[in-house]
Amino acid sequence: MARFIIIRILQAIITLIVISMVVFALARASGDPVMLMAPAMATLEDIEVIRHHLGLDKSLPEQYWIFLKNLSHGDLGESIRSRRPVTALIGERLPNTVSLGLSAIALGIIVSLILGVTAACKYGTWLDGGVKLLAILGQALPSFWLAIVAIQIFAVLLHWLPTSGMGSPAHYVLPVLSLSFFMLPILMRLIRSSMLEVLDSEYVKLARIKGLSERLVVWKHALRNAIIPLLTAAGITFGTIVTGAVVIETVFAWPGLGRLMAEAVMGRDFPVIQAAVLLVAVVVLLVNLLVDITYAWVDPRIRY
Amino acid sequence: METARVGKKVPQLWKALRRLPVIPVTILGIVVFVAIFADLITPYPPNEMSLTDRLTPPFFVSGGSPSHLLGTDNLGRDLLSRIIFGARISLSVALLVIAICSIFGTILGMLAGYLGGRLEALLMRVTDAALAFPALLIALLLGGALGPSFGTVVLALSALGWAPYARMMRGEVLKLRGEDFVAQARIIGSSPARILIKHIFPNVVNTLVVLMTMSVGLVILIEASLSFLGAGIPPPTSSWGSMVSEGRNLLDRAWWISLFPSLAIGLVVLSGNFLGDWLRDRLDPRLRQL
Repeated sequence: MARFIIIRILQAIITLIVISMVVFALARASGDPVMLMAPAMATLEDIEVIRHHLGLDKSLPEQYWIFLKNLSHGDLGESIRSRRPVTALIGERLPNTVSLGLSAIALGIIVSLILGVTAACKYGTWLDGGVKLLAILGQALPSFWLAIVAIQIFAVLLHWLPTSGMGSPAHYVLPVLSLSFFMLPILMRLIRSSMLEVLDSEYVKLARIKGLSERLVVWKHALRNAIIPLLTAAGITFGTIVTGAVVIETVFAWPGLGRLMAEAVMGRDFPVIQAAVLLVAVVVLLVNLLVDITYAWVDPRIRY
Repeated sequence: METARVGKKVPQLWKALRRLPVIPVTILGIVVFVAIFADLITPYPPNEMSLTDRLTPPFFVSGGSPSHLLGTDNLGRDLLSRIIFGARISLSVALLVIAICSIFGTILGMLAGYLGGRLEALLMRVTDAALAFPALLIALLLGGALGPSFGTVVLALSALGWAPYARMMRGEVLKLRGEDFVAQARIIGSSPARILIKHIFPNVVNTLVVLMTMSVGLVILIEASLSFLGAGIPPPTSSWGSMVSEGRNLLDRAWWISLFPSLAIGLVVLSGNFLGDWLRDRLDPRLRQL
């Protein structure tokens, strides 16, 4: 087990280094930020001075080395746009994304558990059909459009909720709902199919023969076993949430990391893109690492 | 003997055709048709502005006119024409991306599965990383890095899109590698390339087709999201995603601008998913877990 964990951590570190190189290379290929920053009247010498000041005149490996060295003591550089430390920018935005993301994940898991399990128990009925329809529609309709329509109905038409931004708890309702809807179809489908398999197994039949109540059989005996295969999907689902966060934060003008990234890409702000993507990569890798370790712990057959 | 075989095949084909998912195939057929013949079909050029016709509602709403069936946007551009030209963009992005990803992923996956060893370990680590990484991030990064254009979008969507193919193909090849027919081919001295192409590939092609069909919807959705975020194909080209985005702030006055492109996205993705499900059940029922 210890060996397995160490090997997985080493692999994760190597992956991270590769990702950092790719991100660095891509960011540098992104055209010249000096041209975007410099005033229209700037002379060639001015541009050279700015370039030197930002360290953009050094060779690429050198720039990458400096980047790594600074990274090792927590210095991720300065935003080219706002001239503020990237860590400060991210620090401001991160809590907003975490609170949005966690609420959406919690809601998404609860709703998809209820719907997925119900659909599996009522296999073949209209309830099952309804859940399947919801999953199919959820996978096909563009999430950003659903979010726009939700704003239109609940904010503009009915005035129940604010259209965008952050502040009161009411500001959370629409973004959290939209983001959790993003992951609902996949989770629901997985829970339903996994649950269908388990409900057909011998030990569930035994539990029923023992005379346990249907509720106990389904929600305790069956669900516990049905959840294990879902672990493998957790990593991929997490990636979906990150994607969703970028889109949903943009629609709702939510001051989170996703919107920061989208803005940084538009403004060609190298250090911000680098840091944000690296941060997300670390989190995605950590989640996948945890998933692998939990899986190996739950199911001892899995070893390298 | 020849006639007997044909006689047996025709009813089978007919049966298969009858069970064909008619509605999805019809929708996809229409979309492909209008995408190809967009220039001949559209009533107006997609970017022709007409300031007197701004924000005309669709024909079935009061104030709408039959000259603009789905209405116009805030620049007076005919929505139907733009959606038809948008189909061309969405479909060509999807086809190109899926072609690139499936070729690249299949080659990598088959090599990894057949050759094994260090190469396989390395390739599968890269594949795992690519699978875990959110595709939209790389797409945004590339869109920002190289500037938004058709090529960037295709490159961005292909950059990680090959991973599911590689993973799937490796698994299939691993299963087939130990089969007798592969061993026999090796005994008579076939080269690895010949074994892979002549003996293994025909056995995995069904899985490949299913995976390709199922990813049509996904690619169209990501392309739309990218265009919506402004990192896709730049205006004035009519892309469904950017049309939704353009209509976003006019929703209270002109709901049709973002509704119809969204419906187009939804219908095509839905049809693609249905067709994929159907193909999977017919060609490769083992994939039902997906």
